[in-house]
Amino acid sequence: MMSSTTSTFGAPLMRHSEGQVVLGGSGEDAVFKPADYPGREQPYEHRFSPYDFNGGTVAGVSGEDYLVIAADTRMSSGYEILSRNTSKLHQLNPNAILASSGCKTDMDQLRSVLDIKSKIYQHNHRKSMTATSTAQMLSNTLYGRRFFPYYAFNVLGGIDAEGKGCLFSYDAIGSFERTQYSATGSGQAYVIPFLDNVIGNRNHTEEKPTLSKEEVVELMKEAFVSAGERDIYTGDALEIMVMTKDGVTKETFELKKD
Amino acid sequence: MFRNQYDTDVTVWSPEGRLLQVEYAMESVKQGSACVGLRSNSHCVLGALKRSVSELSWHQKKLLEIDDHMLVGIAGLTADARTLAKYMRNECLHNKYVYGTPMPPHQLMADVADKHQRTTQTYVRRPFGVGLLVASVDPLTQKPHLYQTCPSGNLYEFYASAIGARSQSARTYLEKHHETFGDASRDDLIVHALQALVGCVSGDDELTKENASIGIVGKDEKFTLLEGDALQPFLDRLELKGGDDDEEEAGDDAAAEAEPMET
Repeated sequence: MMSSTTSTFGAPLMRHSEGQVVLGGSGEDAVFKPADYPGREQPYEHRFSPYDFNGGTVAGVSGEDYLVIAADTRMSSGYEILSRNTSKLHQLNPNAILASSGCKTDMDQLRSVLDIKSKIYQHNHRKSMTATSTAQMLSNTLYGRRFFPYYAFNVLGGIDAEGKGCLFSYDAIGSFERTQYSATGSGQAYVIPFLDNVIGNRNHTEEKPTLSKEEVVELMKEAFVSAGERDIYTGDALEIMVMTKDGVTKETFELKKD
Repeated sequence: MFRNQYDTDVTVWSPEGRLLQVEYAMESVKQGSACVGLRSNSHCVLGALKRSVSELSWHQKKLLEIDDHMLVGIAGLTADARTLAKYMRNECLHNKYVYGTPMPPHQLMADVADKHQRTTQTYVRRPFGVGLLVASVDPLTQKPHLYQTCPSGNLYEFYASAIGARSQSARTYLEKHHETFGDASRDDLIVHALQALVGCVSGDDELTKENASIGIVGKDEKFTLLEGDALQPFLDRLELKGGDDDEEEAGDDAAAEAEPMET
């Protein structure tokens, strides 16, 4: 096989629609001479991918008595933009807001399934689910599809039973952790270090300041402006929801459209 | 006349063309404590008199949520009612999941009525022993509707209705005032519902915030349940009578008993 198509171990690579796969080696006496077949130097396995990445970034910060959760509104596929104003935020119950990025259809289906489960809980228990219960339910729902996952990267935020803000971040198969701040999606690598700095106060010698929800909202805007600058999948507009025990407010902030 | 020979199975007709088992099931509804329903052009209100087994026990819940736009009040076998409510809830969730829109009430009521009817035409089951008053708002037209089901599988729509024990007094009150309901305000409707319930309490009891309960659905308003202290301001507006209507009720109930099943 041609050297450009060998892996670092010298064994040939096969092109595959889901990425490259290493094959067992073949010698110089191979009947198939790649040079005779331009474009067909390697076997190419055709395979339907059930997933598509529709992009977007999602972030959340929990405070003493508030929660700020934000997501951009761009939906894309490959290098194309499919929509400039889809929402990635969804309020599941009075105590919790779900934000997801990933494959839009999986995000929507997950949302529908969680809505049904929340409603059934409300019918049976005659009260809304707490934020921590919602977090557990989301984890279980994701794990239920362990072997054909929901391609949705979630951040769940809410106000817990004690009135404190809470935030949970997930992977695609339900592993979750309660954190003070988090981000996920295509721009997470731009947003998380920024939040580490201003919210987590990492590498600062002075004391960590307590931030009001208004200050956090402004910081979120800055974070997404940065992410939108370098990440092609993030932009268009930013939806920010702020939840306190008194209710939820929503704000939209314009981002660059490029 | 032939009640005792033809009343063992629901699948047996009496010579008068009646299904006696179904009629007995309807008796069960009359044993339940009262539930009233009425509607205006914008809201639909259900009122219920909650019964308690003893002084130590709670008052049995009679108004059940089905969905944001639908509420049901029960009279009769509570367990049967909960099965029906569970079915209705699942249908509403399914409809929202599949069609992305709240369940149209008239469609659900047709299915519920058919569910009742199926039990009257098979050996192995018995009719549901519960009457339902369903307050709903049609999500397309935003108009409120009040439906009533009974064990026979018949479905009725009403401007105002009452079911359960001593409900004739409530029906009389509702008939007297029904022309004012159309444009009545939400609060007035609640007071009417409570006033109708006043005549349904037994003997020396009175309508209090412990044993009354009100449910409302309206256009642009998700369903609300009023119980306990929230009811007090409305109860204060009532003229508490009780007592006078007892003789009138006794006569009416006796007359109602001999009626054949409605067609």
